[in-house]
Amino acid sequence: MLLEVRDLHVEFRTRDGVAKAVNGVDYQVDAGETLAVLGESGSGKSVTAQAVMGILDMPPGRITGGEVLFRGRDLLTLKEDERRRVRGAEMAMIFQDALSSLNPVLSVGDQLGEMFVVHRGMSKKDARARAVELMDRVRIPAARERVKQYPHQFSGGMRQRIMIAMALALEPALIIADEPTTALDVTVQAQVMELLAELRREYRMGLILITHDLGVVADVADRIAVMYAGRIVESAPVHDLYKAPAHPYTRGLLDSVPRLDLKGRDLCAIKGLPPNLANVPPGCAFHPRCPMARDVCRTDVPPLYEVSETRGSACHFWRECLHG
Amino acid sequence: MGRYVVRRLLQMIPVFAGATLLIFLMVNVMGDPIAGLCGERRCDPATAARLRAEFGLDKPVWQQYLTYMGNVFTGDFGTAFNGQEVTELMSTAFPVTLRLTLIAILFEVVIGITLGVVTGLRRGRPVDTGVLLFTLVVISVPTFVTGLLLQLLLGVKWGWIRPSVSSEAPLDELLLPGLVLASVSLAYVTRLTRTSIAENRRSDYVRTAVAKGLPRRRVVTRHLLRNSLIPVVTFIGADVGFLMGGAIVTERIFNIHGVGYQLYQGILRQNTQTVVGFVTVLVLVFLVANLVVDLLYAVLDPRIRYV
Amino acid sequence: MSEQHYESERVVAVTGVGGTVDLGTDGTETPAKAPGGPGGPGGPGPRGRPRSLWSDAWRDLRRNPVFIVSGLVICFLVLISLWPSAIASGSPLECDLAKAQEGSQAGHPFGFDGQGCDVYTRTVHGARTSVAVGVCATLGVAVLGSVLGALAGYFGGVWDAVLSRVTDVFFAIPVVLGGLVLLSVITSNTVWPVIGFIVLLGWPQIARIARGSVITVKQNDYVQAARALGASHTRLLLRHIAPNAVAPVIVVATIALGTYIALEATLSYLGVGLKPPSVSWGIDISAASPYIRNAPHALLWPSGALAITVLAFIMLGDAVRDALDPKLR
Repeated sequence: MLLEVRDLHVEFRTRDGVAKAVNGVDYQVDAGETLAVLGESGSGKSVTAQAVMGILDMPPGRITGGEVLFRGRDLLTLKEDERRRVRGAEMAMIFQDALSSLNPVLSVGDQLGEMFVVHRGMSKKDARARAVELMDRVRIPAARERVKQYPHQFSGGMRQRIMIAMALALEPALIIADEPTTALDVTVQAQVMELLAELRREYRMGLILITHDLGVVADVADRIAVMYAGRIVESAPVHDLYKAPAHPYTRGLLDSVPRLDLKGRDLCAIKGLPPNLANVPPGCAFHPRCPMARDVCRTDVPPLYEVSETRGSACHFWRECLHG
Repeated sequence: MGRYVVRRLLQMIPVFAGATLLIFLMVNVMGDPIAGLCGERRCDPATAARLRAEFGLDKPVWQQYLTYMGNVFTGDFGTAFNGQEVTELMSTAFPVTLRLTLIAILFEVVIGITLGVVTGLRRGRPVDTGVLLFTLVVISVPTFVTGLLLQLLLGVKWGWIRPSVSSEAPLDELLLPGLVLASVSLAYVTRLTRTSIAENRRSDYVRTAVAKGLPRRRVVTRHLLRNSLIPVVTFIGADVGFLMGGAIVTERIFNIHGVGYQLYQGILRQNTQTVVGFVTVLVLVFLVANLVVDLLYAVLDPRIRYV
Repeated sequence: MSEQHYESERVVAVTGVGGTVDLGTDGTETPAKAPGGPGGPGGPGPRGRPRSLWSDAWRDLRRNPVFIVSGLVICFLVLISLWPSAIASGSPLECDLAKAQEGSQAGHPFGFDGQGCDVYTRTVHGARTSVAVGVCATLGVAVLGSVLGALAGYFGGVWDAVLSRVTDVFFAIPVVLGGLVLLSVITSNTVWPVIGFIVLLGWPQIARIARGSVITVKQNDYVQAARALGASHTRLLLRHIAPNAVAPVIVVATIALGTYIALEATLSYLGVGLKPPSVSWGIDISAASPYIRNAPHALLWPSGALAITVLAFIMLGDAVRDALDPKLR
């Protein structure tokens, strides 16, 4: 197993109290596999990824429990310097907003080359040559000329390609992409996503794709983990989940996507708002919004029930959900 | 860039004319330019009338202003109260004040930025709170009080330095006055740097730099500082103009014979030529400093493009 | 400074939005704001009526120790400047040369200055000058500056260009030097020339703030909507723009109040602000500086009073800014 997150807990200390952002998340990614992590904002999907990368802002963030096993080593017990060598070289991250995620006052060549200078000890000149190569890899035209330019001189799609190039630079085993296409135009989204999927196949990397966009997931992911209020509520191979969700929240998500074949029918939005993480409801965190909620949901936290060998659902009534 | 500079230079003309005219009016209308010319006594009416005619003071003010400015552009700043050329006074006074200002800027850069970076990176810790309170106190205590107190402590009580500066104003004697002159700006530089660092520290590109696996040192110096110092550098640049204009208080406390001293003498004796001449140069310095700052901004931040 | 700075700040502000932690504010605060939701840990928000910028700010301020301390100091200063004899019965002009430079003694806790005047009495009476100058100058600057700035920002065009150039001119004149030139010839020994001078040189600062603020608010949808509904200029400015544009002006004016007090003292120290027999901390500090060796107390007390006063106003301004500027939260 390439990456295994076990029972991860993260909380944030804010002025308004302690917010439990991640409450016992488990997931695995194999080499060459794509895991999509799905959830609303505030579900803890990005926080989990940041904890895995080791770029969580601490404070206010704090990892209060769990393990992050990467190639068998628990990253959480590594010293900061060892941890740093893993970042960028063995696992890399692609962020949502490339414009703000790239340094505005350094040329893209400098920012790409920096990876080789720092991790590989290359000279600036060699690093610059590698930067041009990388920009070619992600199909940025006229790379040799544009390598000297600054991020604001590129279009949104091109900038995201630069982010991808930066993540690929040292051919890491795992890439975490946090909403990589959300900030882009729809037409560009598809191109960038395609490029990312293609490069992942080519390099045989593991990919964690964090998104709230179900459409993106269906095309590229092998497995899906759905998060709600800091927990995994359903985990399944992508096609199983689309065919028949085993959690009412997943069902709600699927129903809230406009579909051409169901034109004319009402969209079922999930009623209510995500919970306040400083004050998560007792029992199943989803029960105030759940159409199937019963008394037991208000008192007992559902474990991740084994639906099949490859699926899990954290719903007391997953059978009903699956078949109804 | 070239066109921008030209446009800015053109824009400076009305500001320069306005500021000098304003000062010219203040000195002329408010005071009596020839009152000081007869020494301590009042001039008798006949002499006064003769002097007025001689200096062109019987003409309308706008004409006087034009004549004066015409002379200034040929390098003739007129004569000071003691018969010296104003340009001669300037050539002794400006180097002194310039030295004082440079020392002050040095303090701002070294102490102000260091404190700002340290506190910005440790926001909310005791060091941060302490420095923040200290800067508030420094900003609140007027420069002349800071100057007098430091003079009292270092010069009189502990005898570390000479309480007043000799007329050559060597660099070492200007250290304390320089610190006093810098004090308020220094506190602002600290706060500005702190805010800027603290803001940028949470920025996405710093997070990217961390995610790239760069060592902390490199993240701070290459990514965080490079961005955070842009507003600080421009503040310090613009401060050159302010410091030279505000040096008058510091110069008085430490008895430094710089621009402020000469101006003060000129004002006391109501010598138009000295006052207007010196202020004209100060206004020019201020305007040029601001222009340089704007150009500097473009150099430091590639996102700024001038058209 | 020029428009370019403004632009770039905006660029940075816009691009910096991308959320770092997706838990963020919406995750924790949404329920607290939801109607009928639990009060949440956010504190006792006034129920039933919408929380405005001002009520939010006031709630923040009441809990801010900086605001409370500086507010108390300012209240005390205002009280003693209205009724100085309540705590200092003597006259500040009653001096006895025989006691010159003497230190602290019974009935005269701060000792005597170089002229044998009671330092305590003079320090207490000096508050009036400072408070009067600070308050009057700030009012003058705020009114003149915000009216001119708001008009320029609202009508734009030529007005705006003229105002920009005029403020540039005023900014180019060093303040203390201007004070020396203008005030050195004035013989009146009241606070009014000093106040007039500060208003003359201070208004461009507020005008710039007000202009920028009005331009920002003017572009808001609700203003555009009111304009589309045919509201007059006066109504737009007074009812829709002013209430939403006034916060930055208040913040800058509060901080400026402290600096005006310092400016008055500086001018008096240089001998062109108030002159004896007026009572002002600046005059006392200036008079005490020759005796700094033998009677430092005569310098320290008025200096301390001046510093605390300025500090109180600057801290108040800081607290108000923190409360009114949602960006900094």
